Amino acid sequence: MPQSEPRKVALIANCLLNQNAKVCEGAHYRGVVTPVVEALRNRGYLLQQLPCPELAFAGVRRRWAVYEQYDTPAYRDHCRRLAQAVAPLIEGYLRRGDEVILIGLDGSPSTGVRFTSSRPDWGGRPNRPEDDWEVVRGRGIWIEELEAELARRGLPPLPATGWALDMGRLDEAASRAELEEFLDSRTGTAGSRGGEPAS
Amino acid sequence: MSGDARGWRIALIPDTVLNPQQQSAGSLPDVLCVLEANGYGVLQLPSAGAHRLLLAVIADQVAEYAHHGYAVVAIGLRGPSENGLHWRRLVPLLRRRGVVPPVRHFIRPHRDVEGESRRLSAFLADYDLPQEEQRRWRV
Repeated sequence: MPQSEPRKVALIANCLLNQNAKVCEGAHYRGVVTPVVEALRNRGYLLQQLPCPELAFAGVRRRWAVYEQYDTPAYRDHCRRLAQAVAPLIEGYLRRGDEVILIGLDGSPSTGVRFTSSRPDWGGRPNRPEDDWEVVRGRGIWIEELEAELARRGLPPLPATGWALDMGRLDEAASRAELEEFLDSRTGTAGSRGGEPAS
Repeated sequence: MSGDARGWRIALIPDTVLNPQQQSAGSLPDVLCVLEANGYGVLQLPSAGAHRLLLAVIADQVAEYAHHGYAVVAIGLRGPSENGLHWRRLVPLLRRRGVVPPVRHFIRPHRDVEGESRRLSAFLADYDLPQEEQRRWRV
């Protein structure tokens, strides 16, 4: 069977297709995050939804948390199991020469790509908004474990960015412009099997 | 939940429906647009293949939603024996988690696409949990 044309595939954070996965009081949309999906589909990307690690671990009625609270051996084990579940799909795309990118959720303790949330002293009863978290550079725990699993399989780092949903106030227009700039910078790279990871 | 926009309704959809291949794209409604318009979130099922671990992960998520006041439906394709829903494997996984399999709606490819789109939209708009269940959870 002849190899078909390389495709463009976007791995996207679970809640970008399903805002019901967000923490209590964290959903900005009813279901689909339309601007992200539109930007990807308009550029011919296939969508591959990633599992939501927090939902499966702490449930749909969980409260918000920061990186340090999720940084436990049990949660990392859980994320590794999820990564092992989804990695064969990703490996399949890469092995056939598809361009694969990752769109996470900046500011998220789990799915952050460029930024995650931090407050080492958080604990006990949440007291929002007084207990505001800090946004710091770095991956969320789920993204760290997913990337580690892909590396274990000898796969290249994925070009990645994040939709700024968990950065505090959401500026949808600015987030969309940033996402589109990232996507347009990748025009014509299908079949490259990776590329430079975003900083 | 104050200031929270979630729609409390979720659709399980096959990969082939979320990402229709070029040759079948014209024969199917744009399901994602219809789901968006009706305020549904999406849980994507994997493409054909084994995916044992991934289906278990998806069943865990469906169980979590079903046990906490969310309405979950499944959208399949009428015709081929494998309609993309992995139903034979997914249903036992759901039952083991104490979940009644979601109500299914089937799209008929190659029919009147506009008509299929309206039929899907009507199904989605009408479907939800009983009022009593909604009041219990959606505060």
